[in-house]
This record gives sequence, C-alpha cells and structure tokens, in this order.
Amino acid sequence: MTTLTQHTSTAPGKSIIEKLNVFTALALGVISAVVVWRLSLAFLPQDGEEVRLFSREDKITLLSMCAWFVGFMTGIGALVGPMRWVMGKDLAHDENMFLAGENMGPKRYFRYTTDHKVVGIQYLFITILIFFLGGGLAMLIRTNLGTPEGGWLHAQAYNSIVGTHGILMIVGTIIMVTGPFGNFIMPIMIGARDMAFPRLNALSFWLIVAAAVPLIWGQFIGGITTGWSAYNPLAGQAPLGMDGYIMYICIFAISTMVAGANITTTVVKMRAKGMTWNRTPIFIYGTVASVALALPAFPVFFLSQVLSAFDRALDTSFYNTAGGGSGWLYENLFWIMGHPEVYVILIPAVAALMEMAPVFTRRPLFSFNIAVLGIAGISGLSVLVWAHHMYISGWAPLLNAPFMLTTELISIPTGMLFLVLIGTLWRGRIWMTMPLMSIFALLWNFMIGGVTGIYLSDVPADAFLHGSMYVTAHFHYTLMGAGLTGALASLVYWFPKMTGRMFDKTLSWIAFWMVQIGFNVAFIGMFMVGLAGQPRRVESYAPTFNTANLVTTIGAYTIMIGMLVLLHGVISSARNGVKAPKNPWQAKTLEWTVDYPIPLENFDVLPVVTTDPYGYGKAKS
Amino acid sequence: MTDLMTPKTPQWWKKSDVKKTFILWIICTAVIGYVGVEFHVRNMVDPASETMSSVISLMRIFTWAAAPVAGLVSAMSLTVLTSKRHYGDNPPAEADHEIRNSPKTAAVWVVVSGLLCLFALVGGLVVLQHDNEAILDSKAIQVNVTGQQWVWNFDYANGARSEDLYLPVDKPVVFHITSVDVKHSFWVVQMGIKMDANPGYITETAVTPNKIGVFDVRCAELCGLLHAYMQTKVHVVSQADYDAWLNAHAAMEAGA
Ligand code: HEM
Ligand SMILES: [Cu+2]
Ligand SMILES: [Cu+2]
Repeated sequence: MTTLTQHTSTAPGKSIIEKLNVFTALALGVISAVVVWRLSLAFLPQDGEEVRLFSREDKITLLSMCAWFVGFMTGIGALVGPMRWVMGKDLAHDENMFLAGENMGPKRYFRYTTDHKVVGIQYLFITILIFFLGGGLAMLIRTNLGTPEGGWLHAQAYNSIVGTHGILMIVGTIIMVTGPFGNFIMPIMIGARDMAFPRLNALSFWLIVAAAVPLIWGQFIGGITTGWSAYNPLAGQAPLGMDGYIMYICIFAISTMVAGANITTTVVKMRAKGMTWNRTPIFIYGTVASVALALPAFPVFFLSQVLSAFDRALDTSFYNTAGGGSGWLYENLFWIMGHPEVYVILIPAVAALMEMAPVFTRRPLFSFNIAVLGIAGISGLSVLVWAHHMYISGWAPLLNAPFMLTTELISIPTGMLFLVLIGTLWRGRIWMTMPLMSIFALLWNFMIGGVTGIYLSDVPADAFLHGSMYVTAHFHYTLMGAGLTGALASLVYWFPKMTGRMFDKTLSWIAFWMVQIGFNVAFIGMFMVGLAGQPRRVESYAPTFNTANLVTTIGAYTIMIGMLVLLHGVISSARNGVKAPKNPWQAKTLEWTVDYPIPLENFDVLPVVTTDPYGYGKAKS
Repeated sequence: MTDLMTPKTPQWWKKSDVKKTFILWIICTAVIGYVGVEFHVRNMVDPASETMSSVISLMRIFTWAAAPVAGLVSAMSLTVLTSKRHYGDNPPAEADHEIRNSPKTAAVWVVVSGLLCLFALVGGLVVLQHDNEAILDSKAIQVNVTGQQWVWNFDYANGARSEDLYLPVDKPVVFHITSVDVKHSFWVVQMGIKMDANPGYITETAVTPNKIGVFDVRCAELCGLLHAYMQTKVHVVSQADYDAWLNAHAAMEAGA
C-alpha cells in the first residue's frame, strides 16, 4: 500500500507494470497487426500458377492475426512477469499486490489483475457478452427460418452466422460455470487465499479477449461458412474468415489448458486444512472434472486447427485426399476433442446444482459417493465415445458396434447423477427459489437430452437422424436445457457473494419461466422437423416443415425476452438490489463465511474444516 | 420401488408418499411412453423400405424402455413438488432426517440402467446386422452416387446417368458413394439410409425399396453455399418401368 502511493506520487517514473491495461493492449495489438500486414504484403512472394486459391492471402491473414495476438498479450502485461524472471529480478511483493489489484477500484477490471475474484467477474462479464452476441445471431437464424423459402439473409451470410453462433455458444458454455464461479467462488469454497498460479489465472482470461478479435475480424473477410465443426475439406476452400476461426480456437485452447492446469493444481494443493477429499464439496469435483477433461482434449483441438492452417496457407495435405491426407483425420481429431468437451460443459453445471440441492432442501446431499463416482465415470467414458459422431462417415463401419457400446454405457454414470439429484430432493424441505426450480428443469431437460442421445447412439436410428435437426435439438437439450440452466441457477445462487446484493426474486422467476417454456417450445419443434426429415444448417426447407419451424422461431423469441429480463435483473440487482446478508441461503460451504466485500486474500485466518458441508437435517440442527 | 423404502431408514419415507409416487409412476410411465412413441412415429416420414420400418420400431421400443425410468424421475419430482413448499426469504426448517445414502437404491438403480443399456445395444446390433447383410447380396443392383457442389449424380451399371435416382421396387440396391469436392451426405429420407460422400473414397450402403412412389434425397452434411438446395428425388418404379427407363437413358448417354 505504501508503495502504491509512492508510485502514484512519482508519476513520471511509473513502472511498466502500472502503465499497462486493456487500452495499451488494444493499441499494441492493432499496431502489430497492421505492421505485420504491411510487411507481409510487401515481402511475401506471389503465389505461383499451380498454388491453390487464397494461399498468399491466408499467409498474410494468419501472420497478421498472430501479430495481433502477440501484440495484445504483450500490451496487457502478460510478459512482464516472465521477462523479469528471465532478467533475474522476480516481482517484488508490492508489485504482486499491485497486480492483484489492491485498492485500485474499478480500474482493476481492465488490467492484467491476478486476484481470482476480479478474474471471476471478468469471466462473468465476457460470458454474458458472448451469450448475447451468440443469442443475437440465433435470432437472425430463427428469423430466416420463419419462412421456408430462405433468402432473407444471403446464403453465405447465413452459413457464417450459423458457424459463428455455434462456436460462440460452445465457448460461452465451456466457460460459463468454471469461468465465473470456478474462479470467484471455488478458491473461497476450498478455503484458499487465491489460485495456485494467480498470473496464469489472469492469463487465461485475457487470452479469451485476445481470441475474440480474430473471430470478429473473420466476419469481415468472408465469415465462418463451415459450421462450428469446421470440417475439412470444406474448411480448406472456405473464405479467409476461416483463418479467424482457426486463430480463435488456437488461442482459446491455450486459455483452456492454462486454466485447467491452474484450477486442478489449486484444488489438489490448496484446500483448507482438514478438507479431505470426502469433505470437499461436490461443486469442486465438478469443476476439477471439467477442466481435467479439457486438459487432454484441447491440445487435440489446437492441433487439428494448426494442421488446418497448414493446409490452407502452406499447401500441405493433412486433410486433402488427393495429396495423401484425409478428411477423416480431421473428423477424428475434432471429435476426440468434441465429445469430452460436451461433458466439460455439462459436468460443472450439474455439480453446481448438486451443491445447491441440499441447501434448498435442508437435507444432506444424497449419496455423495455415487455423485463422485458418476462424475468420474462420465469423465472416463467420455474419451472413448467420439466415433458416435462418425457412424455414417464411412470411416470405419466395423467400429460402429464398439462405439455404440461405449456410448450407451455412458448412460450408467449419467443415471447416477440423476439419482443423486432426485434422491436429494426426495423427502427434503422444498424452498421455492429459482435455483431449486432449476434442478427440476434440469431433470426434465436432461432426461429428454439423454434419452434422445440413446436413440442417436443407436447406429441404425442414427443413419436416419444424423445430420438432421433432431441432432440439433438433442444437443440443445443437453447444452442449454441442462448446462445453461445450471449456470443461470449458479448466477442467482452466488450473486449475493459476488455483488453483495440479492438477485431480484421476481425477475429471476420471470426469466426462469420464459427461458424454460420458450426453450421447450423451440426445441420440441426442432425435434419434429428433424424426424420429418429436415437437415440441419439449411437456410431454406420444404414447405411441409413450415409449421414446426415457426413454432421453434416463436419459442426462440420467448427465450430471448426471458434472457433480456435476466440481463435486466443482473444490472438492476447489482446496482440497487437488496443488500445481502453474509449467508442468505444458510449454506454450509466456506464461501458463505466471508463478509462482503471480500478482502483481497479472502481469509484473515485460514479456516480449518472438520466436516463435509452437507450436515443438514434433524440431527445436526 | 420397494427399495426406496429401505427399512433401515424408516424416517426417509412415509407410506403415503410412496403410494402416491407409485401411482404417479404408473401414470407418468404410460403418458411418457405413449406420448413419446406417438411423437416420434407421427412425425417420422412414412417408411419406404424395411430399413426405415425397423428404425421406427426401434424408436418405439426404445421409448417404451426409457419410459419407466423417465416416469420414475417425473413421479418422484411431482411428489416432491406437490408436497409442502416453503416460500420466503429465509430457509425452511431443517429436514426431519439426515439420510445420506441408500446403497440398495443405488445398486438397483445401477443394475437397472445397465440392463437397459444392454437391451438398447442388443436391439441396435440386431438391426445393424440385418442392414449389413444387404450389402453382400450378390443379386443387388449397383448404383454409383457422386456428390458435387450442389448436385447428385447417379451412374447405373449399363452406362446410364441421371440426376434423379430411379430404382425398381423390391430389389436390393447397393450404393457406392463418393464426392468430387467436399464432404456431402447422401440421405434417402423415407428409406432411412444415409452415408457420407467423401472425396477420394468410396463408401457403401444398401437398401431395398418396398414402395412405389417418389421420395426425397437430401444432403445431410453442410457442403457450402447451396447446401440447402442439394436435394433431388428418388423414383421407385416397377421392374418393367425401370428397365424401360434404364435402356432409354443408356441409349441417350451413348448417343451424346
Ligand atoms: C446422455 C448421454 C448422451 C448420449 C448417449 C449422446 C449421444 C450423442 C450422439 C450419438 C450424437 C451424435 C449424433 C449425430 O451426429 O448423429 C450426439 C451429438 C451431440 N451431442 Fe450428445 N449425447 C449425450 C449427452 C450429451 C451431452 C450431455 C451433451 C452436452 C452437454 C451433448 C452434446 C452433443 C452435441 C454438441 C452433439 C452434436 C454435435 C454436432 O454434430 O454438431 N450430448 N450425442
Ligand atoms: Cu458425442
Ligand atoms: Cu450438403
């Protein structure tokens, strides 16, 4: 603190750390990109006659995007720590406190701040932003599909909107629980002062910001016309916007790996004294399972896109059959990431609801062991099922049966999660709040998502359903109906700890019902057209599908209004909601033992844990 | 059901609760099974092949198999939701028990879900096996299918070529599928078959159309700008009509 005043008083000598923020980062990023762009324009050799279309432009685009990335990360201060370390002068305590954002007010949200609570809020902000961007695109899609003939949007724009919506939402759902709540709440819940690697924590957040720009940039140079899965060889012939997708994924994958290593280490090494694994809250298990699953998955995603970039810019043939490669290689790499990734999304959301279930029923969590087993079982199996996305690719027909087996086995641990939730609700005291109702909503939606998953896992049925709107409806039931429901409940549940104020009750109910009803209307309609034979990712369809598509569009608008109500709730409650008591839900996890505002290092005296946090019920009260 | 009443933990259940849940379970199972089956069967296209018929019966069977599980979750949820609810800003009193688990329930739950899995697996394998046999049928008609942005081309054994698919009724047909540019997916909707068209590879699928009529072929894999319009018709006709059409088209190709 003394150093802080000292530094500000000697303004001209401000150290480099204090000068960097998001604005210097943007400036340096843009300057680097422009410089590299001009240089590569000037010096890169022209394409020869025999070289494929776009190759030179691809090189220029990718180089400029890399320059943006390096410039931005340098400008935000990601390199300060490592550079100082290389020079043999590690950061002093005061400097670390400055980086943690001590006494800095709102400015710390615009810097490379290491305090996990700041990072959590930053993640919350960017998650909301992503959902509203992605949601806006969804409304464009649904409006276009309100009538069968298409053409309201240009076909290329439509394809690009579908792809961008998809990848935005996938990234949004990946970070929606582990980002805001995994960063803000998790360290306090385990009784730690911060994450194991606070600077990596800041790094993981700012990497996402750095990643966003190439994606937006891509929209203006042809768009992402391949859908979120970016299959090759289609991606090889897609416009330059594809390079934006590639950079986005590569940078985001680094962010996920960094966050995964950080969160895992934090949980393993920094739990409070006495918090044995049996006393560790289930939400912590969910968070760790999620990031630990991402740890092997995202390097594969990264790699798949690097090879894609090579094919585009350097004329290699990883995915090009004529040159000795194969599109099936891409599909395999993509889904080796892709299936674990869906559980990266789902597990923390379900685990968050498991954490809330005892609180809102005032009874212990039912079968903690089964919950842990279920999470572990899903995580383990989920790396063995990827080829259910490739049953009809023709890649390896003989492997269909074994992959059908592993996929169907996943419903056993999934069933365990159901058992835990329903078992906790059973004979509890029902405290009617939005998080509690979200558990019921999850049970309902995830049941539909899971059962339709079983149909899809069946090879003959999938030969009919694959590539149809039915698949789209299935994964929205799981990602949105189950995942997002859990995330919204988490928002309302932990809002008091994050903002010091209660989330407006009425608004939370209105938003809940509009989103849930709109959601079920929208995606029931989508199941119908899928069954009737409408392929996915189409901008026009046969007139017979019109009614159900219209139903879906109406449902989609209902969701949108519900989400706007929720946004209004977030803003108005954070500004002038009812001041929250320390422990408004009378919960027993550690985050409810600290006062708001939570001090920089959370606890004056580190807590000692003697029981698990589920001691509700008669004998204990 | 009886297992929920694990006798060791008498506070956990009240007889009235279990009775209510049991009745709700029967009702929910019936409703979910019936509505689920009707929802799928009514929305699915009318089958034009044995393959599609078996997909429809698979959906029927799977839905009925899933209904008791979904019914139980729904019934328990409804029982909970219709029991005493507490509104307000402060928590309700603590529950009157502190039950943390019920190993028997868990065991039953896991065994039952395992059996259901096995059931789904076997059902799928049987149908799959049946479908695969068609590919090996030596009397089958062979058609080469080529996907191309954004049309389908069909080549027949006698040299005929078309953009609409023509097939005789009740004859097994094997499709050899490929693509000249990007990945497409060859979907004959009413026949319940689909196979990706990959550039540089030939993939196979087979079906026996069993109904005369005109059906839909759609592309089921995003393949660029006009993917939505990459569709055509399949005309299933009598053997005589088919032969006539085939000869006329072969002559046309030869003349061209
Ligand atoms: C309960 C067990 C589940 C089973 C058995 C299952 C099964 C399947 C199968 C077989 C497919 C491939 C369908 C096709 O393309 O033809 C699929 C697609 C998909 N599933 Fe699931 N699923 C389950 C749960 C989930 C969950 C929990 C999520 C996400 C949270 C999820 C997200 C997805 C996504 C995103 C796709 C499609 C991706 C695409 O093609 O773009 N699924 N699922
Ligand atoms: Cu999957
Ligand atoms: Cu297509």
